[in-house]
Amino acid sequence: MSSRRRIAVTGVGAVSGLGANAADTWAAARAGRGGIAPHVFDGGQHGPGPVTLPAALAADGFQAPLEARMGRKVSASLDRFALMGLCAAFEALDQAGLVGDAALSERTAIVLGHGQGGQETLEKGYERFFGMKSPRMHPAMVPKVMVSGGVSAVAMQFGVHGPVFATSSACASSAHAIVQGAGLIQAGLADIAIVGGSEAIATPGSMAGWQAIQALAETTCRPFSQGRDGMVMGEGGAVLILEDLDRARARGAPILGEYLGAGMTSDAFHITQPSLEGTAAAIRQACAAGDLFAQEEVLVSAHGTGTPLNDQNEAAALNLAFEGSAARRPTIATKSAHGHLIGGSAALQTVIALQALREGLAPPVLNFLGPDPACDVDLVTGEARPITARHALLNAFAFGGLNVSMAFAAG
Amino acid sequence: MTITEPQLLDLIAQEAIIDREKLTREATLGDLAISSLDVITLLFELEERYGVVIEEADMPKMQTLGEMVDFLMERINAQPEKS
Repeated sequence: MSSRRRIAVTGVGAVSGLGANAADTWAAARAGRGGIAPHVFDGGQHGPGPVTLPAALAADGFQAPLEARMGRKVSASLDRFALMGLCAAFEALDQAGLVGDAALSERTAIVLGHGQGGQETLEKGYERFFGMKSPRMHPAMVPKVMVSGGVSAVAMQFGVHGPVFATSSACASSAHAIVQGAGLIQAGLADIAIVGGSEAIATPGSMAGWQAIQALAETTCRPFSQGRDGMVMGEGGAVLILEDLDRARARGAPILGEYLGAGMTSDAFHITQPSLEGTAAAIRQACAAGDLFAQEEVLVSAHGTGTPLNDQNEAAALNLAFEGSAARRPTIATKSAHGHLIGGSAALQTVIALQALREGLAPPVLNFLGPDPACDVDLVTGEARPITARHALLNAFAFGGLNVSMAFAAG
Repeated sequence: MTITEPQLLDLIAQEAIIDREKLTREATLGDLAISSLDVITLLFELEERYGVVIEEADMPKMQTLGEMVDFLMERINAQPEKS
Protein backbone atom coordinates (compact mmCIF):
# COMPACT_ATOMS: atom_id res chain seq x y z
CA MET A 1 0.00 0.00 0.00
CA SER A 2 1.34 3.38 -0.93
CA SER A 3 1.88 5.93 1.81
CA ARG A 4 -0.95 8.39 2.35
CA ARG A 5 -0.66 11.79 0.77
CA ARG A 6 0.26 14.45 3.32
CA ILE A 7 -1.99 17.46 3.45
CA ALA A 8 -0.90 21.05 3.90
CA VAL A 9 -2.99 24.08 4.77
CA THR A 10 -1.99 26.75 2.26
CA GLY A 11 -4.58 29.44 2.89
CA VAL A 12 -7.09 30.53 5.49
CA GLY A 13 -9.96 32.98 5.58
CA ALA A 14 -12.41 33.98 8.26
CA VAL A 15 -15.35 36.23 9.01
CA SER A 16 -16.51 36.47 12.60
CA GLY A 17 -17.58 38.72 15.41
CA LEU A 18 -13.86 39.26 15.97
CA GLY A 19 -13.10 40.64 12.51
CA ALA A 20 -13.73 40.55 8.79
CA ASN A 21 -10.68 38.43 7.98
CA ALA A 22 -8.41 35.81 9.52
CA ALA A 23 -5.72 38.28 10.61
CA ASP A 24 -8.15 40.54 12.47
CA THR A 25 -9.87 37.52 14.01
CA TRP A 26 -6.54 36.18 15.27
CA ALA A 27 -5.38 39.58 16.52
CA ALA A 28 -8.54 39.95 18.61
CA ALA A 29 -8.31 36.41 19.99
CA ARG A 30 -4.64 36.82 20.88
CA ALA A 31 -5.28 40.15 22.60
CA GLY A 32 -8.22 38.76 24.55
CA ARG A 33 -10.73 41.05 22.85
CA GLY A 34 -14.14 39.40 22.72
CA GLY A 35 -16.89 39.97 20.18
CA ILE A 36 -19.82 39.15 22.45
CA ALA A 37 -22.26 41.99 23.15
CA PRO A 38 -25.98 42.39 23.85
CA HIS A 39 -28.10 42.52 20.68
CA VAL A 40 -31.81 43.08 20.14
CA PHE A 41 -33.65 40.36 18.23
CA ASP A 42 -36.92 41.69 16.90
CA GLY A 43 -39.39 39.42 15.16
CA GLY A 44 -41.14 42.39 13.54
CA GLN A 45 -44.82 43.24 13.43
CA HIS A 46 -45.91 39.61 13.18
CA GLY A 47 -43.59 38.33 15.88
CA PRO A 48 -43.56 38.61 19.64
CA GLY A 49 -41.82 41.58 21.26
CA PRO A 50 -38.07 42.10 20.87
CA VAL A 51 -35.63 40.33 23.18
CA THR A 52 -32.08 41.29 24.08
CA LEU A 53 -29.54 38.48 24.13
CA PRO A 54 -25.76 38.28 24.07
CA ALA A 55 -24.35 37.31 20.67
CA ALA A 56 -21.18 37.73 18.62
CA LEU A 57 -22.22 39.14 15.27
CA ALA A 58 -20.05 40.05 12.29
CA ALA A 59 -19.82 43.79 11.73
CA ASP A 60 -21.34 45.25 8.57
CA GLY A 61 -18.92 45.57 5.70
CA PHE A 62 -17.25 42.16 5.97
CA GLN A 63 -18.13 41.56 2.32
CA ALA A 64 -16.37 44.70 1.04
CA PRO A 65 -13.23 42.91 -0.30
CA LEU A 66 -15.39 40.37 -2.14
CA GLU A 67 -17.64 43.05 -3.61
CA ALA A 68 -14.65 45.11 -4.70
CA ARG A 69 -13.64 42.18 -6.89
CA MET A 70 -16.95 40.64 -7.88
CA GLY A 71 -19.48 43.44 -7.61
CA ARG A 72 -22.35 43.95 -5.22
CA LYS A 73 -24.84 41.71 -6.99
CA VAL A 74 -23.11 38.57 -5.76
CA SER A 75 -23.86 39.50 -2.16
CA ALA A 76 -27.49 40.23 -2.86
CA SER A 77 -28.05 36.81 -4.45
CA LEU A 78 -26.93 34.89 -1.35
CA ASP A 79 -28.16 34.29 2.16
CA ARG A 80 -25.84 35.65 4.84
CA PHE A 81 -24.45 32.19 5.68
CA ALA A 82 -23.41 31.55 2.08
CA LEU A 83 -21.99 35.05 1.69
CA MET A 84 -19.84 34.57 4.79
CA GLY A 85 -18.56 31.26 3.44
CA LEU A 86 -17.84 32.83 0.06
CA CYS A 87 -15.96 35.75 1.63
CA ALA A 88 -13.83 33.38 3.72
CA ALA A 89 -13.16 31.22 0.66
CA PHE A 90 -12.05 34.24 -1.36
CA GLU A 91 -9.63 35.30 1.37
CA ALA A 92 -8.24 31.78 1.74
CA LEU A 93 -7.80 31.22 -2.02
CA ASP A 94 -6.15 34.61 -2.31
CA GLN A 95 -3.65 33.76 0.43
CA ALA A 96 -2.97 30.39 -1.18
CA GLY A 97 -2.29 32.15 -4.48
CA LEU A 98 -4.96 30.10 -6.21
CA VAL A 99 -7.44 32.72 -7.44
CA GLY A 100 -7.53 32.22 -11.19
CA ASP A 101 -5.30 29.12 -11.03
CA ALA A 102 -6.11 26.42 -13.59
CA ALA A 103 -6.04 23.75 -10.86
CA LEU A 104 -9.31 25.08 -9.47
CA SER A 105 -11.16 23.89 -12.54
CA GLU A 106 -10.64 20.12 -12.46
CA ARG A 107 -8.59 18.98 -9.48
CA THR A 108 -10.25 20.91 -6.67
CA ALA A 109 -13.04 19.97 -4.28
CA ILE A 110 -15.25 22.14 -2.10
CA VAL A 111 -16.75 20.87 1.15
CA LEU A 112 -18.32 23.35 3.54
CA GLY A 113 -20.32 22.54 6.66
CA HIS A 114 -23.42 24.35 7.88
CA GLY A 115 -25.86 23.41 10.60
CA GLN A 116 -28.91 24.99 9.02
CA GLY A 117 -28.50 26.93 5.80
CA GLY A 118 -30.34 30.11 4.90
CA GLN A 119 -32.20 30.84 8.10
CA GLU A 120 -32.56 34.59 7.55
CA THR A 121 -34.07 34.06 4.10
CA LEU A 122 -36.38 31.37 5.45
CA GLU A 123 -37.66 33.55 8.26
CA LYS A 124 -38.27 36.52 5.96
CA GLY A 125 -40.06 34.29 3.44
CA TYR A 126 -42.24 32.76 6.12
CA GLU A 127 -43.01 36.18 7.57
CA ARG A 128 -44.53 37.07 4.20
CA PHE A 129 -46.32 33.74 3.91
CA PHE A 130 -47.65 33.21 7.43
CA GLY A 131 -47.57 36.79 8.71
CA MET A 132 -48.57 38.92 5.72
CA LYS A 133 -50.63 36.06 4.24
CA SER A 134 -48.94 36.69 0.90
CA PRO A 135 -49.24 33.66 -1.37
CA ARG A 136 -46.12 34.66 -3.34
CA MET A 137 -42.66 33.46 -2.43
CA HIS A 138 -39.52 34.96 -3.91
CA PRO A 139 -38.08 32.70 -6.63
CA ALA A 140 -34.64 33.05 -5.03
CA MET A 141 -35.87 31.68 -1.72
CA VAL A 142 -35.17 28.01 -2.35
CA PRO A 143 -31.64 28.46 -3.73
CA LYS A 144 -30.82 30.89 -0.91
CA VAL A 145 -32.12 28.58 1.80
CA MET A 146 -30.58 25.32 0.61
CA VAL A 147 -27.66 24.18 2.72
CA SER A 148 -25.55 23.64 -0.39
CA GLY A 149 -26.05 27.27 -1.47
CA GLY A 150 -22.66 28.18 -0.03
CA VAL A 151 -20.60 25.59 -1.87
CA SER A 152 -22.43 26.31 -5.12
CA ALA A 153 -21.61 30.01 -4.75
CA VAL A 154 -17.92 29.26 -4.21
CA ALA A 155 -17.88 26.85 -7.16
CA MET A 156 -19.54 29.36 -9.47
CA GLN A 157 -17.38 32.30 -8.46
CA PHE A 158 -14.10 30.42 -8.80
CA GLY A 159 -14.94 27.94 -11.56
CA VAL A 160 -14.55 24.76 -9.52
CA HIS A 161 -15.79 21.67 -11.40
CA GLY A 162 -14.65 18.86 -9.09
CA PRO A 163 -16.45 17.24 -6.12
CA VAL A 164 -18.59 19.92 -4.45
CA PHE A 165 -20.98 19.31 -1.57
CA ALA A 166 -22.01 20.47 1.90
CA THR A 167 -21.88 18.56 5.16
CA SER A 168 -24.36 19.05 7.96
CA SER A 169 -23.89 17.76 11.48
CA ALA A 170 -24.97 20.67 13.67
CA CYS A 171 -22.00 22.00 15.67
CA ALA A 172 -19.55 19.60 14.02
CA SER A 173 -20.49 20.44 10.41
CA SER A 174 -17.29 22.19 9.40
CA ALA A 175 -15.16 19.59 11.18
CA HIS A 176 -16.79 16.88 9.10
CA ALA A 177 -16.23 19.10 6.06
CA ILE A 178 -12.51 19.41 6.76
CA VAL A 179 -12.16 15.65 7.22
CA GLN A 180 -14.13 14.93 4.05
CA GLY A 181 -12.05 17.39 2.03
CA ALA A 182 -8.83 15.82 3.29
CA GLY A 183 -10.24 12.40 2.42
CA LEU A 184 -10.96 13.48 -1.15
CA ILE A 185 -7.31 14.47 -1.56
CA GLN A 186 -6.09 11.24 0.05
CA ALA A 187 -8.43 9.21 -2.15
CA GLY A 188 -6.94 10.86 -5.22
CA LEU A 189 -10.18 12.58 -6.21
CA ALA A 190 -8.70 16.06 -5.83
CA ASP A 191 -5.37 17.79 -5.21
CA ILE A 192 -6.87 20.82 -3.49
CA ALA A 193 -9.88 21.06 -1.19
CA ILE A 194 -11.61 24.26 -0.17
CA VAL A 195 -13.00 23.28 3.23
CA GLY A 196 -14.62 24.89 6.23
CA GLY A 197 -18.05 26.16 7.02
CA SER A 198 -20.26 29.04 8.02
CA GLU A 199 -23.44 29.86 9.86
CA ALA A 200 -25.74 32.85 10.22
CA ILE A 201 -28.63 31.79 12.41
CA ALA A 202 -28.66 34.68 14.88
CA THR A 203 -32.17 35.46 13.66
CA PRO A 204 -35.23 36.20 15.83
CA GLY A 205 -37.00 32.89 15.22
CA SER A 206 -33.86 30.81 15.52
CA MET A 207 -32.77 32.54 18.73
CA ALA A 208 -36.17 31.77 20.28
CA GLY A 209 -35.54 28.12 19.44
CA TRP A 210 -32.14 28.16 21.10
CA GLN A 211 -33.71 29.78 24.15
CA ALA A 212 -36.29 27.01 24.26
CA ILE A 213 -33.66 24.31 24.70
CA GLN A 214 -32.10 26.42 27.45
CA ALA A 215 -28.74 26.38 25.73
CA LEU A 216 -28.09 30.13 25.76
CA ALA A 217 -26.16 31.97 28.45
CA GLU A 218 -27.84 34.94 30.07
CA THR A 219 -24.69 37.04 30.19
CA THR A 220 -21.76 35.61 28.28
CA CYS A 221 -19.80 32.49 27.38
CA ARG A 222 -17.47 31.18 30.15
CA PRO A 223 -16.01 27.84 29.05
CA PHE A 224 -14.86 25.55 31.87
CA SER A 225 -15.49 28.34 34.38
CA GLN A 226 -17.32 28.48 37.63
CA GLY A 227 -20.74 29.98 37.09
CA ARG A 228 -20.96 29.16 33.38
CA ASP A 229 -24.54 29.02 32.21
CA GLY A 230 -24.56 28.33 28.50
CA MET A 231 -23.36 29.14 25.04
CA VAL A 232 -23.53 32.42 23.16
CA MET A 233 -24.61 32.45 19.54
CA GLY A 234 -21.99 33.63 17.06
CA GLU A 235 -22.03 33.97 13.30
CA GLY A 236 -19.48 33.89 10.56
CA GLY A 237 -17.46 31.45 8.58
CA ALA A 238 -13.98 30.14 8.02
CA VAL A 239 -12.30 28.37 5.15
CA LEU A 240 -9.03 26.50 4.82
CA ILE A 241 -7.29 25.50 1.63
CA LEU A 242 -6.10 21.92 1.95
CA GLU A 243 -3.55 20.84 -0.59
CA ASP A 244 -1.35 17.87 -1.32
CA LEU A 245 1.83 18.77 0.57
CA ASP A 246 4.22 17.84 -2.25
CA ARG A 247 2.22 19.89 -4.69
CA ALA A 248 2.11 22.85 -2.31
CA ARG A 249 5.87 22.72 -1.76
CA ALA A 250 6.56 22.39 -5.46
CA ARG A 251 4.67 25.58 -6.25
CA GLY A 252 6.12 27.47 -3.29
CA ALA A 253 2.79 27.93 -1.54
CA PRO A 254 2.69 29.14 2.07
CA ILE A 255 2.52 26.12 4.40
CA LEU A 256 0.41 27.35 7.31
CA GLY A 257 0.01 23.94 8.91
CA GLU A 258 -0.51 20.27 8.23
CA TYR A 259 -3.65 18.22 8.68
CA LEU A 260 -2.62 14.96 10.33
CA GLY A 261 -5.86 13.07 10.75
CA ALA A 262 -9.11 12.83 12.66
CA GLY A 263 -11.44 10.75 14.74
CA MET A 264 -15.17 10.62 14.14
CA THR A 265 -17.71 8.90 16.36
CA SER A 266 -21.43 8.95 17.05
CA ASP A 267 -22.73 8.62 20.60
CA ALA A 268 -26.02 7.08 19.48
CA PHE A 269 -27.22 8.10 22.91
CA HIS A 270 -29.02 11.44 23.34
CA ILE A 271 -30.08 14.31 21.11
CA THR A 272 -28.56 17.03 23.32
CA GLN A 273 -26.44 15.38 26.03
CA PRO A 274 -22.83 14.34 25.35
CA SER A 275 -21.37 10.92 26.08
CA LEU A 276 -17.99 10.45 27.73
CA GLU A 277 -17.14 7.33 25.73
CA GLY A 278 -18.19 8.79 22.37
CA THR A 279 -16.22 12.00 22.76
CA ALA A 280 -13.17 10.29 24.29
CA ALA A 281 -13.12 7.81 21.41
CA ALA A 282 -13.02 10.60 18.84
CA ILE A 283 -10.16 12.27 20.73
CA ARG A 284 -8.25 8.97 20.93
CA GLN A 285 -8.60 8.34 17.19
CA ALA A 286 -7.40 11.82 16.28
CA CYS A 287 -4.46 11.61 18.69
CA ALA A 288 -3.47 8.25 17.26
CA ALA A 289 -3.71 9.58 13.70
CA GLY A 290 -1.54 12.59 14.55
CA ASP A 291 0.79 10.85 17.02
CA LEU A 292 -0.24 13.39 19.62
CA PHE A 293 0.12 11.16 22.69
CA ALA A 294 3.89 11.06 22.15
CA GLN A 295 4.33 14.84 22.04
CA GLU A 296 5.67 16.87 24.95
CA GLU A 297 2.97 19.47 24.53
CA VAL A 298 -0.25 19.59 22.53
CA LEU A 299 -2.39 22.69 22.13
CA VAL A 300 -6.03 21.71 22.74
CA SER A 301 -8.69 23.85 21.12
CA ALA A 302 -11.69 22.64 23.06
CA HIS A 303 -15.25 22.49 21.82
CA GLY A 304 -15.79 24.49 25.05
CA THR A 305 -19.27 25.85 24.53
CA GLY A 306 -19.71 27.13 28.06
CA THR A 307 -22.67 24.87 28.79
CA PRO A 308 -22.39 23.06 32.13
CA LEU A 309 -22.72 19.62 30.55
CA ASN A 310 -20.40 19.97 27.55
CA ASP A 311 -17.46 21.39 29.40
CA GLN A 312 -17.58 18.91 32.26
CA ASN A 313 -17.86 16.01 29.82
CA GLU A 314 -15.15 17.36 27.52
CA ALA A 315 -12.68 17.82 30.38
CA ALA A 316 -13.33 14.25 31.49
CA ALA A 317 -13.06 12.93 27.93
CA LEU A 318 -9.71 14.66 27.40
CA ASN A 319 -8.34 13.22 30.64
CA LEU A 320 -9.65 9.76 29.79
CA ALA A 321 -8.22 9.82 26.26
CA PHE A 322 -4.83 11.13 27.37
CA GLU A 323 -4.49 8.62 30.24
CA GLY A 324 -0.93 7.33 30.14
CA SER A 325 0.32 10.23 28.01
CA ALA A 326 2.67 12.77 29.57
CA ALA A 327 1.80 15.46 27.04
CA ARG A 328 1.14 18.88 28.54
CA ARG A 329 -2.16 20.19 27.26
CA PRO A 330 -2.61 23.98 27.32
CA THR A 331 -6.30 24.32 26.52
CA ILE A 332 -8.04 27.20 24.76
CA ALA A 333 -11.77 27.77 24.25
CA THR A 334 -12.20 30.61 21.80
CA LYS A 335 -15.99 30.47 21.71
CA SER A 336 -15.62 32.76 24.73
CA ALA A 337 -14.47 35.37 22.19
CA HIS A 338 -16.28 34.61 18.90
CA GLY A 339 -19.35 32.81 20.24
CA HIS A 340 -20.62 29.55 18.82
CA LEU A 341 -20.72 29.63 15.04
CA ILE A 342 -22.50 26.25 15.08
CA GLY A 343 -21.59 24.76 11.67
CA GLY A 344 -18.76 27.26 11.22
CA SER A 345 -17.11 26.88 14.63
CA ALA A 346 -14.63 24.08 14.00
CA ALA A 347 -13.21 25.76 10.90
CA LEU A 348 -12.82 29.11 12.67
CA GLN A 349 -11.17 27.42 15.64
CA THR A 350 -8.81 25.62 13.27
CA VAL A 351 -7.77 28.93 11.73
CA ILE A 352 -7.07 30.32 15.21
CA ALA A 353 -5.31 27.17 16.47
CA LEU A 354 -2.96 27.04 13.45
CA GLN A 355 -1.98 30.66 13.98
CA ALA A 356 -1.46 29.96 17.70
CA LEU A 357 0.96 27.16 16.78
CA ARG A 358 2.78 29.39 14.31
CA GLU A 359 3.20 32.23 16.80
CA GLY A 360 3.77 29.96 19.83
CA LEU A 361 1.04 31.81 21.68
CA ALA A 362 -2.22 30.40 23.03
CA PRO A 363 -5.04 32.96 23.20
CA PRO A 364 -6.81 33.28 26.55
CA VAL A 365 -10.21 31.96 27.53
CA LEU A 366 -12.34 35.03 28.24
CA ASN A 367 -14.94 35.73 30.91
CA PHE A 368 -13.35 33.25 33.30
CA LEU A 369 -14.59 33.53 36.89
CA GLY A 370 -12.45 30.80 38.43
CA PRO A 371 -11.82 27.08 38.06
CA ASP A 372 -14.61 24.53 38.27
CA PRO A 373 -13.36 21.46 40.17
CA ALA A 374 -15.42 19.32 37.78
CA CYS A 375 -13.33 20.57 34.82
CA ASP A 376 -9.75 19.44 35.29
CA VAL A 377 -8.04 21.10 32.32
CA ASP A 378 -4.94 23.27 31.93
CA LEU A 379 -6.90 26.28 30.82
CA VAL A 380 -5.19 29.34 29.32
CA THR A 381 -6.75 32.30 31.12
CA GLY A 382 -5.93 35.94 31.73
CA GLU A 383 -3.67 36.65 28.79
CA ALA A 384 -2.10 34.77 25.89
CA ARG A 385 0.35 32.11 27.09
CA PRO A 386 3.59 31.22 25.30
CA ILE A 387 3.53 27.58 24.18
CA THR A 388 6.08 25.21 22.70
CA ALA A 389 3.47 22.91 21.15
CA ARG A 390 3.92 22.07 17.48
CA HIS A 391 0.73 20.04 17.42
CA ALA A 392 -2.92 20.86 18.03
CA LEU A 393 -5.98 18.82 18.87
CA LEU A 394 -9.32 20.32 17.98
CA ASN A 395 -12.70 19.07 19.19
CA ALA A 396 -16.16 19.58 17.70
CA PHE A 397 -18.96 17.79 19.51
CA ALA A 398 -22.43 18.27 18.06
CA PHE A 399 -25.96 17.90 19.34
CA GLY A 400 -27.11 14.42 18.47
CA GLY A 401 -23.78 13.01 19.65
CA LEU A 402 -21.81 13.58 16.45
CA ASN A 403 -18.16 13.95 17.45
CA VAL A 404 -15.11 14.97 15.45
CA SER A 405 -11.60 15.51 16.74
CA MET A 406 -8.80 16.61 14.43
CA ALA A 407 -5.02 16.67 14.70
CA PHE A 408 -2.88 19.37 13.08
CA ALA A 409 0.80 20.25 13.07
CA ALA A 410 2.37 23.67 12.75
CA GLY A 411 3.49 24.79 9.32
CA MET B 1 -49.10 55.87 1.23
CA THR B 2 -47.68 57.55 -1.85
CA ILE B 3 -44.23 57.41 -3.33
CA THR B 4 -42.22 60.09 -5.10
CA GLU B 5 -40.03 59.43 -8.12
CA PRO B 6 -36.78 60.01 -6.16
CA GLN B 7 -37.98 57.61 -3.47
CA LEU B 8 -38.77 54.95 -6.05
CA LEU B 9 -35.41 55.42 -7.75
CA ASP B 10 -33.66 55.06 -4.38
CA LEU B 11 -35.50 51.81 -3.84
CA ILE B 12 -34.62 50.50 -7.31
CA ALA B 13 -30.97 51.35 -6.71
CA GLN B 14 -31.08 49.49 -3.42
CA GLU B 15 -33.00 46.40 -4.51
CA ALA B 16 -31.45 45.93 -7.96
CA ILE B 17 -27.96 46.87 -6.64
CA ILE B 18 -27.30 49.65 -9.15
CA ASP B 19 -25.47 52.91 -8.57
CA ARG B 20 -28.11 55.58 -8.09
CA GLU B 21 -26.52 57.99 -10.58
CA LYS B 22 -26.96 55.46 -13.40
CA LEU B 23 -30.72 55.48 -12.95
CA THR B 24 -31.90 57.92 -15.63
CA ARG B 25 -35.31 57.75 -17.29
CA GLU B 26 -33.74 57.09 -20.68
CA ALA B 27 -31.61 54.14 -19.54
CA THR B 28 -32.91 50.79 -20.78
CA LEU B 29 -33.56 47.95 -18.39
CA GLY B 30 -31.13 45.89 -20.44
CA ASP B 31 -28.35 48.46 -20.13
CA LEU B 32 -28.92 48.61 -16.40
CA ALA B 33 -28.91 44.79 -16.24
CA ILE B 34 -32.17 44.77 -14.28
CA SER B 35 -33.19 41.12 -14.32
CA SER B 36 -36.55 39.52 -13.76
CA LEU B 37 -35.38 38.51 -10.29
CA ASP B 38 -34.46 42.13 -9.55
CA VAL B 39 -37.95 43.23 -10.56
CA ILE B 40 -39.54 40.61 -8.30
CA THR B 41 -37.33 41.68 -5.40
CA LEU B 42 -38.41 45.28 -6.01
CA LEU B 43 -42.10 44.30 -6.18
CA PHE B 44 -41.79 42.41 -2.88
CA GLU B 45 -40.23 45.45 -1.24
CA LEU B 46 -42.99 47.70 -2.59
CA GLU B 47 -45.58 45.29 -1.22
CA GLU B 48 -43.98 45.31 2.21
CA ARG B 49 -43.47 49.07 2.36
CA TYR B 50 -46.48 50.40 0.47
CA GLY B 51 -48.96 47.55 0.72
CA VAL B 52 -49.37 47.39 -3.06
CA VAL B 53 -49.51 43.98 -4.72
CA ILE B 54 -48.17 44.03 -8.27
CA GLU B 55 -47.67 40.77 -10.13
CA GLU B 56 -44.66 40.69 -12.39
CA ALA B 57 -46.76 38.85 -14.96
CA ASP B 58 -49.17 41.82 -15.07
CA MET B 59 -46.44 44.30 -15.97
CA PRO B 60 -46.44 45.39 -19.61
CA LYS B 61 -43.32 44.98 -21.72
CA MET B 62 -41.11 47.93 -20.99
CA GLN B 63 -37.85 49.13 -22.47
CA THR B 64 -36.72 52.07 -20.38
CA LEU B 65 -36.47 52.82 -16.70
CA GLY B 66 -38.77 55.80 -17.21
CA GLU B 67 -41.56 53.51 -18.44
CA MET B 68 -41.14 51.24 -15.44
CA VAL B 69 -41.08 54.14 -13.00
CA ASP B 70 -44.26 55.63 -14.50
CA PHE B 71 -46.06 52.29 -14.35
CA LEU B 72 -45.04 51.58 -10.75
CA MET B 73 -45.79 55.09 -9.48
CA GLU B 74 -49.24 54.99 -11.03
CA ARG B 75 -50.01 51.65 -9.38
CA ILE B 76 -48.66 52.65 -5.98
CA ASN B 77 -50.20 56.09 -5.88
CA ALA B 78 -53.57 54.86 -7.19
CA GLN B 79 -54.16 53.13 -3.87
CA PRO B 80 -56.68 54.76 -1.53
CA GLU B 81 -54.92 56.70 1.20
CA LYS B 82 -55.19 55.06 4.58
CA SER B 83 -55.87 57.50 7.34
